[in-house]
Amino acid sequence: AASGGAGGPEAGPGAEPVPERGPESAAGAAQPPEPSVLPLLVCPLSKRPLRYEAATQELVNEELGIAYPVVDGIPTMLPEAARKIPARP
Amino acid sequence: ARGLAANKETHFGFQTVSEEEKGEKVYQVFENVAKKYDIMNDSMSLGIHRVWKDVLLYKMNPSPGILLLDVAGGTGDIAFRFIDYVRSVRERQLRRKLKHHQNLSWQEIADSYQAEAVKPLGDSQVVVCDINKEMLKVGRQKAQHLGYSEGLSWVVGNAEELPFGDEKFDVYTIAFGIRNVTHIDLALQEAYRVLKPGGRFLCLEFSQVNNPLLARLYDLYSFQIIPVLGEIIAGDWKSYQYLVESIRRFPPQEEFKAMIEDAGFLKVDYLNLTSGIVAIHSGFKL
Repeated sequence: AASGGAGGPEAGPGAEPVPERGPESAAGAAQPPEPSVLPLLVCPLSKRPLRYEAATQELVNEELGIAYPVVDGIPTMLPEAARKIPARP
Repeated sequence: ARGLAANKETHFGFQTVSEEEKGEKVYQVFENVAKKYDIMNDSMSLGIHRVWKDVLLYKMNPSPGILLLDVAGGTGDIAFRFIDYVRSVRERQLRRKLKHHQNLSWQEIADSYQAEAVKPLGDSQVVVCDINKEMLKVGRQKAQHLGYSEGLSWVVGNAEELPFGDEKFDVYTIAFGIRNVTHIDLALQEAYRVLKPGGRFLCLEFSQVNNPLLARLYDLYSFQIIPVLGEIIAGDWKSYQYLVESIRRFPPQEEFKAMIEDAGFLKVDYLNLTSGIVAIHSGFKL
């Protein structure tokens, strides 16, 4: 099921609404991030490690309950772009 | 009495704005100029910015295996130079190795070339981080056109609040970016945090001209020619007006050196280029 997607309405003013399918995005639909960068990334707020969720193309900070979008293969590591994820029961 | 945290003021070029506004206004400037950024750099500096960036790489002198974080690296100029530099160092290393082994079989020679093909950068990596996704998009397109892909990644992030773990990088560069940051001290602290011990901070930025005659010509050129070029080439006078004003606002060489030292860096020094129109500041995390 298409859940959220990169930068849905909850994501705040900075994020794009839909991954671009124009000439700029080489792969057409959502590009995966460059794998070599993932181990280097942490949450900019807490500096704690993140979990990459391929299904939603997001980098998740479980502790703070927020997720950063990967837009067109580019991790968008700005607090304004993060969305709150509902706490698991 | 002044409000405590309420909207601290700062400068946006010669205007006074709140700190919050500055970030937004700077974002707008680069969003507007992104597509014409490279052309404008060439026009305004008559191509000299390429030499400045070459000198930055020469000072860095990276060897294969180095991990570079290029902050405010938008359109990729530093990243591509880094890749070229490391690639050529690696080629030379492999060639020197071959020369020393006189009695190689054809298979061994072929294997050497194979090694070079598989790891042309020898594990070097550059991460380009910029707060502005439009600038990064331009950079990524350029990379695709120029054939750069290996060892290169792009991240949207804020220099004041980097999304990287502690002690990850060997070198941190910021070229013509730090004067646009609202809290320069925070950016310097973050630079210190993400560098490995022994890592190097390098900043290429506009600075203060040390020659009075040249200073006058430079002022004339900056305020009379550059915004006009901005209007003609990019259709954006105001952004380039901001650019030249922001250059005047940035601390001169010695003051910036002190700020870098305040962040904890040691052996801080600077190299003036083109009579101080730009300077390369360098410091080490020791």
